[in-house]
Amino acid sequence: MASRIVITGTGIICGLGRDAATVGRALRAGHSAIAPIRHWEAAGWPHRYAAEIADLDPRALVADRKSLKLLRRSHVLGLYAAAQAVEQAGFLGQRAALPAAAAAAFNDRSGIYVGSSGTTYQDQYDFLPLLARSEGDLVRFGRDLTAAVPPMWLLQSLPNNVLCHFGIQTGFTGPHACVVTHSTGGVLAVAEAAAALRDGLADRAVAVAHEAPLEPQTMRGYADLGVLARETVRPFDQGRDGTLLGEGAAALALEMAGTRGGAELGELLGSAEVSEGGALLGVRADGDGLARAMQLALADAGCGPADIGMIVAHGNGTRASDASEAIAIRRVFGAAAPPVTSFKWALGHTLAAAAVLDTVLALDALAAGEVPGIATLRETDRSCQPLPVSRRPQRPRGRIALILSRGFAGTNAALVVRAA
Amino acid sequence: MSGDRSPPARRRVLITGIGLVTPLGLDAPATWGALLAGTSGIDVVRSFDASGFPVRIGAEVKGFDDTRVERGLRRYATRQHRFALAAAAEALRDAGVAPTPETAAHWACIVGAGMMGVEFADLAAFQRRAAPEGVLRPDRVAEPASAVAFARNQPTAGLALLVRRFGIQGRAAAMHTACASGGQALGAAMRLIRHGTADCALAGGFDAMLNPIGLAGFCLLGALSADNHDPPRASRPFDRSRNGFVLGEGAGFLVLEAADVARRRGARAYAELAGDGNALSSYRITDSHPSGRGPIEAMRHALADANEPPEAVDYLNAHGTSTPMNDRSECAAVRAVLGAQAARLAVSSTKSLMGHLIAAAGAVEAAICALAIRDGVAPASANLRQPDPDCHLPFVTGAPQRRPIRVALSNAFGFGGSNNCLVLRAAPAA
Repeated sequence: MASRIVITGTGIICGLGRDAATVGRALRAGHSAIAPIRHWEAAGWPHRYAAEIADLDPRALVADRKSLKLLRRSHVLGLYAAAQAVEQAGFLGQRAALPAAAAAAFNDRSGIYVGSSGTTYQDQYDFLPLLARSEGDLVRFGRDLTAAVPPMWLLQSLPNNVLCHFGIQTGFTGPHACVVTHSTGGVLAVAEAAAALRDGLADRAVAVAHEAPLEPQTMRGYADLGVLARETVRPFDQGRDGTLLGEGAAALALEMAGTRGGAELGELLGSAEVSEGGALLGVRADGDGLARAMQLALADAGCGPADIGMIVAHGNGTRASDASEAIAIRRVFGAAAPPVTSFKWALGHTLAAAAVLDTVLALDALAAGEVPGIATLRETDRSCQPLPVSRRPQRPRGRIALILSRGFAGTNAALVVRAA
Repeated sequence: MSGDRSPPARRRVLITGIGLVTPLGLDAPATWGALLAGTSGIDVVRSFDASGFPVRIGAEVKGFDDTRVERGLRRYATRQHRFALAAAAEALRDAGVAPTPETAAHWACIVGAGMMGVEFADLAAFQRRAAPEGVLRPDRVAEPASAVAFARNQPTAGLALLVRRFGIQGRAAAMHTACASGGQALGAAMRLIRHGTADCALAGGFDAMLNPIGLAGFCLLGALSADNHDPPRASRPFDRSRNGFVLGEGAGFLVLEAADVARRRGARAYAELAGDGNALSSYRITDSHPSGRGPIEAMRHALADANEPPEAVDYLNAHGTSTPMNDRSECAAVRAVLGAQAARLAVSSTKSLMGHLIAAAGAVEAAICALAIRDGVAPASANLRQPDPDCHLPFVTGAPQRRPIRVALSNAFGFGGSNNCLVLRAAPAA
């Protein structure tokens, strides 16, 4: 297997902690980060629960504090997770040992791949005072512009900010992408990184996904779509009433096996993403897109359903998504699915970051030999049965995990990793 | 698709359809005709009252007919999405092919999505509701509202509309690297076809930042030409007197097909999409390195990917924004990559006539390269009267230059340091 892609570093930050071991332990202990929103006044909101990162101090998370004025909350999370993964993989130490010309070549052969849903709503809040003051008069709006809005506003709002700033921070100059495909953006970032490694365009890459959707307009939007729960996410439960948003970021440091003898946490075996080509936001009731994504990812990984040791489902807790996801899993695995879990009951739905968080935590679960249970599960929905989900921890059936992800534009994605 | 079918050694990827909505025209023939005629698409901004802004000119899409977008989709489609849907429909019509229930899973849709997610009218409505005094009051957002504005302002909305409208069921991805977005989307789509993940792709870019917020953002950065008195002259890539870019809007889509698939149905091709190169500047957020580092590697990687030597390049559609720094750095990069061979090139920046289409630019300009190859003509760079001595390249000025073009390069460099170069090549004889 000359073309193995190995995972030599992971990074994570979410409501349950700032490193994989801590978050994994908390999950196994049944801890949840979901609570009423604290960083803005949400009293009176019917949907005010979310998985926030408490006491977030951006200055403690970013190496270059000067850059903070150009970064939004989501960007800070992404940079932190990416730096953690690169640190664990030892990429920068490896480069430091090289002569200058070889170090430049090292940078050219180092890729950065980013996924996020692409923040938008809060980016424009800097214009609210000007809009209020100009009272619909665009002439006044234009005239007062430079006095009312920060000059660097556009640069704070670049959807590709994590890519840009992580490049400047590390000096990596290789192939790259910034995927903004709602919740499947994380898997796509990993898939693009894997393609670049397999094509020989890079020797190593970091794939990072980040999200910070806990601001009023975004939460309002999801509530208006009718997908938010009141206070608890209960994936696959009979009484589930929706999902809750979370914030976080996660990253994988990837390299071609044999590039060096570093510690291997696992292996990226395969991935796939497809669209259902139907609803703008919703999912098909028969789970067709997700089933196809699983089959393609298994084929890409060169393995069959029997090789999968555990599944981290999308399991967002909405009626429609969980029911159709269970159908899709049955279509691919028949009655022989491995243990299935979902982490959104504890971490919330972190959109594009979710699947990469799940991947980091799946590696931790496989290393611990224990699939965390869904602590909020009371009674598995009949429409989701048979599905091997449990409140209690389960034993993985093998060393390979399948991670599932679904998003707007009818997109469905799957990722296959093996733990070392 | 992938895995169960091992892709042939190196599948070639052909461009079999083109669709454009640009400041120069509402479809590809009109855009190409205006470009060759040297007509400028730059004028005073008319879609809103920009008279109080420091910059009051832009390259607007003029006379776009919203009924080109299906009624049922229209309220979910903002201006940039409408351009995208129209350009994509034209590209598919032009290619004479469309996804069917049998082929839908083998079609990919890869887009360079516009930077500005939120439509100005929706933001203004939100301000009146949630921040009447200018300060956001969460209590005023606690009441339920329609989710339509939320849906249409999602960064994924354009992609969602496209896959739904055309029934695409393979890989679907939206990407954004500012002004490199459209080029990177085409490159990513090309690779999917090469790998066998898809047989066909609807790929391109769209953007519409010519609204009060988008114009404001670039005004604040001081990136735009403020030549309000003479709009058609304002975009002067490589000219000594250049003073910034002109903001445009529009969409460009290509139908990409594996050569084996296109040949089976007897399709005609404009050109082959033969190479894709990307490099990150990792220098500054808005400036490229004066030495051309970043663009140099992007061009080298693209040529290597296409297996073409530098001396094979006949035409370069430059990124050529008309900002002092970009144009100088790009010229340094072209000289570094092509060396003495740069002398036999034809170079132009079509932004001189159509402005800068931001996330759509790379896709629209790749389409122009395909048309240049088909017709054997390099469009001229307008307004280039006194070339900057630091920008010494063989520019096409005055009239378009008729010459056989076998290999063309399209550069697209973005804020944030993403550099993309695409290689287009005359299609191999069937």
